[in-house]
Amino acid sequence: MAVVSALPPLAMQAGANRVVQGVKIEHVCGDPALPAEEDGEVRRRLVERGLRALATAVERPTLFEDAGAAAAAR
Amino acid sequence: MDAHRLRVAHYINQFFAGIGGEERAETPPAVKDGPAGPGRAIQAALGPRGAVVSTMVCGDSRFNEQIDAAGDAVRAWLGAQRPDVVIAGPAFAAGRYGRACVEVCRIAADLGIPAVTGMHPENPGLLMYREAYVVPTAGSAAGMGAALGAIVPLACKLGARLPVGAAEDEGYLPRGIRRPGMRALPGARRAVDMLVAKLGGKPFRTELPVEGYEAVAPAPPVADLPRATIAVVTTGAIVPKGNPDHLKRCSETRWQRYELEGRTRLSADEFECVHGGFYNVPASENPNVVLPLDALRELERRGAFARLADFYCTTTGNDQRFADCVRNGKEIAEMLWQERIDGVLLVAT
Repeated sequence: MAVVSALPPLAMQAGANRVVQGVKIEHVCGDPALPAEEDGEVRRRLVERGLRALATAVERPTLFEDAGAAAAAR
Repeated sequence: MDAHRLRVAHYINQFFAGIGGEERAETPPAVKDGPAGPGRAIQAALGPRGAVVSTMVCGDSRFNEQIDAAGDAVRAWLGAQRPDVVIAGPAFAAGRYGRACVEVCRIAADLGIPAVTGMHPENPGLLMYREAYVVPTAGSAAGMGAALGAIVPLACKLGARLPVGAAEDEGYLPRGIRRPGMRALPGARRAVDMLVAKLGGKPFRTELPVEGYEAVAPAPPVADLPRATIAVVTTGAIVPKGNPDHLKRCSETRWQRYELEGRTRLSADEFECVHGGFYNVPASENPNVVLPLDALRELERRGAFARLADFYCTTTGNDQRFADCVRNGKEIAEMLWQERIDGVLLVAT
């Protein structure tokens, strides 16, 4: 299981082992302030990050950073 | 009878009544005059303060499998006896017995009769009605003496309608109830005193115990994502429009399962957010911002994973009791396991 949370420290403290940083509590998986297309892009990237977390072996509560930032770093 | 002598009604199971063990767990509810089984020790501990006037005996399976009928029998019994106080059990670590005892306490409370029971702090019966007065006991009947030593004085106090102090002072398990009151020192002073004691390695008593989380061993990774079935779960209270199952805005105890088959996204015409712990208008205007169905479908179409489950699960993650969180999590996980789901995305709001 991967948890998408706007408050990863709480999720990790509670013992969630795969945690993805969400956008905000009110809209964890998107940003209604953005144009629909960009909002959809934010959401797709978040879900991709969640899938990547699911496919990754972890030993302890682990935060999966922004996929865009990771891609930019590569 | 002395007017001040408490009338005590006692509930026990078939085992403690001496009827039998598991083979007699279907024993229907029956009422006897006076004490039976551990009721005799209760009577001895009460001495002149009270009398065990009546005992109800019921098999553990019978009570749990026909809980409505058992509840009716308890209600009729207490209505007829009108005791000053009810003692149930103690049940120690026995789960069905614990549930029965807690249910007896709940019914007594409904009738305005104080009640007390005893059980091991991990007895699942505790989860059914947290407001019961429950004295912590050992895991087995070997702890009967100590259990009754705590139960009987509390029962006397409750039966006499004397004020009952805080859980830690009176020896019962916390009931999740806070009573306003005055302390000798202001909060800031007490907090600093506690901090100083803690730093000095001295004992102190917190005023706000935090329930501990268990460490969860990480699940192995999903080995082959392109062949995996993924399910989505949320604590964000995304429900079909109109909230047909009346999911609560806060303090929910349950979870719900809703279908996703044939949907490529969640439309605001069909779904809404009823979470009461955050501003839920954005999530009602576009439920995908909490339950990202549109993105999941797109990635499913692209082959990032094989299949999205045809349903999702939701509860309201707002002021939900820890025990309910744990149970809901277990129930959802079991269901997902049976549905052969390989990986789960949990959106926590």
